[in-house]
Amino acid sequence: MSISHNDAGQDLRTIVISGRLDVMGTDTVATRLMELTAAPKKGVVVDLSPLKFLASVGIRALITSAKAVQQRGAKMVLVVRGNSTVMMSLEATGVNELIPVFDNVADAERAAVG
Amino acid sequence: MSSWSDELIIGATGMELRRASEWLDAACRGRAAPREPVERLLLCLNEALTNVMVHGGETALSAPIRLLLEFRFDPGGGEVGVTVSDAGLAFNPLSAPRKALPKTLDEALPGGLGLVMMRGLSDWLDYRHEAGRNHLTFGARWKLP
Repeated sequence: MSISHNDAGQDLRTIVISGRLDVMGTDTVATRLMELTAAPKKGVVVDLSPLKFLASVGIRALITSAKAVQQRGAKMVLVVRGNSTVMMSLEATGVNELIPVFDNVADAERAAVG
Repeated sequence: MSSWSDELIIGATGMELRRASEWLDAACRGRAAPREPVERLLLCLNEALTNVMVHGGETALSAPIRLLLEFRFDPGGGEVGVTVSDAGLAFNPLSAPRKALPKTLDEALPGGLGLVMMRGLSDWLDYRHEAGRNHLTFGARWKLP
């Protein structure tokens, strides 16, 4: 389980999460995800393309962060591989309709700061 | 028509949840079950066990959880059912009201998604409470091309 980030100037932060966002994995990264998404950036990309598994507890962490980002007037988007188990989780809960999802980082970054 | 079954006993911890996932995944791979239904089952198993751990109370945490895996194959396809049996507080997920999915992020509540996932990803869900234990069964089926 790992979480890392990269800042591109003042406006954009990209966060990469890998491993499994089940109970154990989410316990490991949830606090750090909140800290990283709390930075005063215009756009936040959360890249889940290396993620192998997304349980509801992980989706809860993503929703909490996305709401906090939105409340400060910024935008959070996700990067998810199409036809993956992670996409299956987002579609089953309808969260892919609430947080914009892209299949590549470049498109996601443009949308996050656009 | 052929069938096969297996059992696993686990404790109510995050590590044990991962062991259960690996057991289910390995059993399905060993029987060449297609990936899409298996991935749905892995998500359902994770949600079922998480519910036991989070909402089942002290007895759920202290008593073993029994998992029963049942395969059925016929020439046209197959199905896999998983039964999670726990000694926690009685809870029938089938009786929980269905909530409308939120239309905006503002409307979204962070909780309650586990049951939404199980309902959306399983092909069937059954529940009974017997001899002081919850028995929740969920399954996935497939047709061969």
